[in-house]
Amino acid sequence: MTERWLIALATTLATIAALNAWRSLTGGYRSRWTGPILTLTFLFQLMALGLRGEMRGSCPLADPGEILLFLSCSLTLFYLLVGPTYRLSLLGLFTAPVVVSLQLTALIPGVIDPNPTLVTSTDPWCESHAALSVLSFGSLALAAVSGCMFLILDRLLKKKKLSGPLFQNLPTIHNLIDSTKRLLLIGIVILTIGIIAGFFTPSIGFNAHLIVALIVWLAYIGLAVVAYTRGLPPHRLAIYSVVFFLISLLAFGLI
Amino acid sequence: MELLCLGLNHETAPVELREKVSIGATRLGEESSALTAHDSISEGLIVSTCNRTEFYLAAPDHQRARTALANHLADRFDLVLNEHFYQKHTREAAVHLCRVVSGLDSMVLGETEIFGQVKKAYAAAHEAGVTGGVLNRLFQRAFSVGKKVRNSTAIQEGQTSVGSVAVDLAEKIFGHLSDSQVMVIGAGEMSRTTAQSLLSRGARSMFVTNRSYDKAVELADAMGGSAIRFDDWEESLSKVDIIISSTGAPHHVIKPDHLEKVRRKRKYRPLLMVDIAVPRDIDPAVGEIDEVYLYDVDSLQSLAAEARDRRQAQIQICDQIIVDELNKSQLPGL
Repeated sequence: MTERWLIALATTLATIAALNAWRSLTGGYRSRWTGPILTLTFLFQLMALGLRGEMRGSCPLADPGEILLFLSCSLTLFYLLVGPTYRLSLLGLFTAPVVVSLQLTALIPGVIDPNPTLVTSTDPWCESHAALSVLSFGSLALAAVSGCMFLILDRLLKKKKLSGPLFQNLPTIHNLIDSTKRLLLIGIVILTIGIIAGFFTPSIGFNAHLIVALIVWLAYIGLAVVAYTRGLPPHRLAIYSVVFFLISLLAFGLI
Repeated sequence: MELLCLGLNHETAPVELREKVSIGATRLGEESSALTAHDSISEGLIVSTCNRTEFYLAAPDHQRARTALANHLADRFDLVLNEHFYQKHTREAAVHLCRVVSGLDSMVLGETEIFGQVKKAYAAAHEAGVTGGVLNRLFQRAFSVGKKVRNSTAIQEGQTSVGSVAVDLAEKIFGHLSDSQVMVIGAGEMSRTTAQSLLSRGARSMFVTNRSYDKAVELADAMGGSAIRFDDWEESLSKVDIIISSTGAPHHVIKPDHLEKVRRKRKYRPLLMVDIAVPRDIDPAVGEIDEVYLYDVDSLQSLAAEARDRRQAQIQICDQIIVDELNKSQLPGL
């Protein structure tokens, strides 16, 4: 089985997870299958990444398709870690569509290189830099998902629309603010280690990717410092977590 | 064996009559036993709450059981069976019990407390040994029907009173209220009720302020909180998470400036503001501040009314479930 089929399978599973979560929401019952289906999705993502790693002979982060797959795998991993820990209901409903869109983009012909070049030697700093950076964006992506959930609940509360399954099942405002802040912090810590590793990479030069990555890193650091010390209106925290994540995708585009 | 239910409730009888036949939870077993002392009553069970007292009887002849119950009420409660009492027998009695257990016959449609109250009444009669083949099967069936009605419909969705809507909102914002501090501005009855609901759900502590300091102290003592002078309430703004305001002031007491001053000190924590005063105490512009969720009495009342309407719309579905479930069971005495 090729890696494209594995990605397609993982995408199908994530779609089923999203539909199942939506059906449970509208049906008024708790979804028992979203977590297990996304666990299976994660396994297929790992298998696909494993195959790409073998084909390249290095960490599979050399083309946009691999980066998108690695990112969706990190996002699923953080969902599986954070969802049960913080008991954030509906997180699966919001995470699965993001996984689906990332992987569908990866499946567009040409996005993932069908014949990757086998590298002869690898640099551990470069590999760590790439892997940790993309892993951190899994956490930052989930912070953005949590921020979106906050924005929806905030709007429902401000507009006084307190009925309906979405309102009933969304986590509390307090939980959403808390999880957004923690996910930002986890993401920033991993990203910082990744960036430090990047500076030890011999081949890295002063290019557009480095500039955008540093701007994104500084923006996230600023956001976390302000949120944890001075405080930030939760609405703004949520918007920044979404906007910064979208801008950060630029850094990947410039590799 | 025939089944008979005779009773009165908040719709059929005034409180003066209901209180005469009201039986405390500790006496339910004893009173149910007294029913079966009559030869014509084989099994007996009494359900008694603040809104209803109902006698469920299993007897070989329901007419004779009714006469015995009438004598019993006259002897024990000095009451005559009149138009305030309703009487249902066989299937009608079973349907009625299922409706009661499901909260369809309650003053607050869909309320859940009645389920526990009927369960306790059944347990008391069962322990007293005065329930048998008819009432045991009927009540057990009614409990399973009641559960099904509540789980498969929206009969208990939403809150139907201003106080409980406010508490629900607080829980949707803060989760457990054990870390939430409440400030009550104005010591009126509405704020007292709402504050009590918040405390009963675990709110940590409470500040009470009022133009008359003595009233603030009185309410604070009753709630286990602390009173603050009306001139000093602004200082407490930075500490609190929930504000309930209900003063008689003819103008806005809380304005955006008050909040703007303390936002940084509060680190922009969410703040729920419940304004139950008319005229309103809180300037509506306060609700435009990012972290503030402002609800006035109209919005709370309309949310409660919406929930009542949604529950009302469920009655037909609930009744159909009851009919279907009773059709499935072969209960004796029906």
